[in-house]
Amino acid sequence: MTAPDSTLIQRLASIVGERRVLSRQSELLAYSSDGLPGYTKIPNVAVFPGTRDEVVAVVKELATANVPFVPRGAGTGLSGGALAEGVVLLGLNRLRRIVSIDSANQLAVVEPGVVNTVLTREVTKYGLHYAPDPSSQTVCTIGGNVAENAGGPHCLKYGVTLNHVVALTAVLPDGTVTSFGNAAGENVGYDLVGAFVGSEGCFGVALDVTVKLQRNPQAVRTMLADFLSIDSAARAVSAIIARGILPAALEMMDAPTIRAVEASIYAAGYPVDAEAVLLIELDGFEGGLDDDVATVVELCRTAGARSVRVARDDAERVRLWQGRKKAFGAMGRISPHLVVQDAVVPRTKLPAVLEQIHAISSRYRVKVCNVFHAGDGNLHPNIGYDAEDPDESARVHAAMREIMQLCIAVGGSITGEHGVGMDKLAYMDELFTSDTLAAMCDLRDVFDPQRRANPGKVVPSHSCREWHAAPSARRAAANGAAVPAA
Amino acid sequence: MNTTEIVALTREARVKREPLRIRGAGTWLTGGQPVGANGSLSLADDQGIVDYVPGDLTLTARAGTRLSEIAAATHAHGQWLPLDPWGGDDGTLGATLATATAGPHAHATGLPRDVVLGVEFVTGTGQVVRAGGRVVKNVAGFDLTRLVVGSWGTLGVITEATVRLRALPEEARTIAVAVDSERSALNALARRLRALPFVPMAAELLSGRLASQLGLGGVCMLVVQVAGNARSVRAQLALLRDFGDARDVNADIWSRIRTVESASSAAWRWSRIASEFGNVWAAAEAAVAGIETALVHGSPMRGVARVVVPFADTIDVGRLARAASAFDGTIAIENLPRPAWRLVQHRPAADPLSRAIRAKFDPDAILNPGILGAQ
Repeated sequence: MTAPDSTLIQRLASIVGERRVLSRQSELLAYSSDGLPGYTKIPNVAVFPGTRDEVVAVVKELATANVPFVPRGAGTGLSGGALAEGVVLLGLNRLRRIVSIDSANQLAVVEPGVVNTVLTREVTKYGLHYAPDPSSQTVCTIGGNVAENAGGPHCLKYGVTLNHVVALTAVLPDGTVTSFGNAAGENVGYDLVGAFVGSEGCFGVALDVTVKLQRNPQAVRTMLADFLSIDSAARAVSAIIARGILPAALEMMDAPTIRAVEASIYAAGYPVDAEAVLLIELDGFEGGLDDDVATVVELCRTAGARSVRVARDDAERVRLWQGRKKAFGAMGRISPHLVVQDAVVPRTKLPAVLEQIHAISSRYRVKVCNVFHAGDGNLHPNIGYDAEDPDESARVHAAMREIMQLCIAVGGSITGEHGVGMDKLAYMDELFTSDTLAAMCDLRDVFDPQRRANPGKVVPSHSCREWHAAPSARRAAANGAAVPAA
Repeated sequence: MNTTEIVALTREARVKREPLRIRGAGTWLTGGQPVGANGSLSLADDQGIVDYVPGDLTLTARAGTRLSEIAAATHAHGQWLPLDPWGGDDGTLGATLATATAGPHAHATGLPRDVVLGVEFVTGTGQVVRAGGRVVKNVAGFDLTRLVVGSWGTLGVITEATVRLRALPEEARTIAVAVDSERSALNALARRLRALPFVPMAAELLSGRLASQLGLGGVCMLVVQVAGNARSVRAQLALLRDFGDARDVNADIWSRIRTVESASSAAWRWSRIASEFGNVWAAAEAAVAGIETALVHGSPMRGVARVVVPFADTIDVGRLARAASAFDGTIAIENLPRPAWRLVQHRPAADPLSRAIRAKFDPDAILNPGILGAQ
């Protein structure tokens, strides 16, 4: 780690005020990790601008000083994307203004630090909500959601973050402020919004984001179906999708998850002897909705469901969801650390993959709890463990590696909504060809030719052409912020 | 032609500095700006469905596969590909994605960029990029898929794509309602459509002349498709009765709307914020007032109006260009008679970032130079 540069600290303080620049080790510790357990990376400076102009001034200052930086929202990311080692951490959580709401066109312009559910709360009076709903939605920020292209249970029907961003203004790493997309008409040129959303902080910093708001559904029906085998639950998932019914959410939890939830304060009344439960939500137009509910119930029974419970009121609905939304918290009770993994497989491969995950976890003697977005094949195999125990940590990492390789082997992806960050870097070579990774590097170089924004994340540096031409990235790598896959 | 041959052709073109015009089935060769290329690269023979797993609702096909072939394969499994470009299903998957042409179902089922899960493409330097994947949710790495879709071949030649399918609805019905085409009435119509408690599968406004050509009478008509289970469809139709006297229309109207225009027509899209759809429509109609053959249609939900004028010597393109430049909104030009391109400014990929992207993916401007203002 490089020593903080005192002139840089002074210059940053002159922009944002002394209180908003942290450089003492004791203060920086609070920013040494994100939602990925087992890693502690300490930035050398953390700076927290409070306005858009301050963000631009800070980024320009960092450009002038040729210093790498890592943008950070709420720090809830699960792939280590917000970890900053020996570089500047740029915190954006003070930019909390909802700039404008256009209820007629169902659009809102927000600053990056606006918390996901705060936006929904502010637009409830118009009968609208912001659809992407990651589990961390009560604390995570829209800026972070944009960086990671975050998902959530309701993305099955409503789409991920990218499907809800129509335009944005960003400051590029060199300090240039630019806008992409079109909030008031068609997007005619290249899809720069599509490039920026999900770029994990490597393409610059969003200053404002124009998002779509979803009309609140007229009616909602929530069901819990319980199964004596994962296989029959997976068959029910396929049958529902094949029927042309697009649920708002279609979530699966396996036996270890059910038991963890039921043993916790978040107990939702899930049957503890079930091998799997499906939490199914249908929403939208009231007309005919109950016919779809009846169809889903029938499809679940045909697939082998022991029972299907339809929530009778909002209280029951909230309770059924609580178990799902707090499943990670419930697992946290069991073990000091929890890896919340993320991978995607073709839906038809779910039964076989879940069976193999079970075999892998037995082989490595680790506790895997599966709670995931079954409707789109987005797995979350979670492993509770003690990161202080080197033997257990090694077994957990080996099991995770095999699970990821399994998902790649069946034609899946290494991440559906958490991003690559640091955690998944090592798998990028297995998922993509070297020419494809080089093309990704090329795209990054358009936005950040010096590779100073979130250096060393997303694409392994060794796969970039002309890699020697980027001294700042090389320096960052030498400092340990970049961990190219071996 | 397969990917290896395309790589060879691209590399050779680059060495010789001889740009290529990329073509699919050749149904719409006049589309887009004139390309400064003598050579051509045809994907018409590179066809075929590579992989189709109905249970996954995903399909992978070579770029030259015609949409009609995909429709036949997917219908057999009760599924469909929600890509419905203007011009019909004779075109190829690759061309539809390269141009990102969105048809009448786009508001409900997504724009082409939302439908594509992964693409294989060959860059202007002859590199084969395999972006995205075959799963329906994927955030691994930077998104090259959405970048190349809609880039009109200027960032790479799409050789293969994986797309998301949908199950055919249990029931679908289409109705047509005569509507007042006055500006404020259309603004109100757009608001009312958006306020419905359901999302129509499609809602397209047709000018009187277009409605007449489609046998729907000579006044401005709103054509709406609703879908779902039987009870849902009945309930949706009941709510649509408030829009006026609805009459049932055969479902083939949706392909007839798309094929009514001739391939050699000028076609422009006008768009701005959806609540001002009436203003968009009024501007588009005014621009072609007096042109007997002009057709106008549009999506009130998306705030887009599209003007179609068959190529004819009598069209005053200068007038169209002036109307477009006076329009306070976004113009997307699909097609013009060749000499007319000189009269308009249409350079949506000429901003610094887009130019830099083009320079990375096709540094010698081998692929479709001129299109989108990309040199």
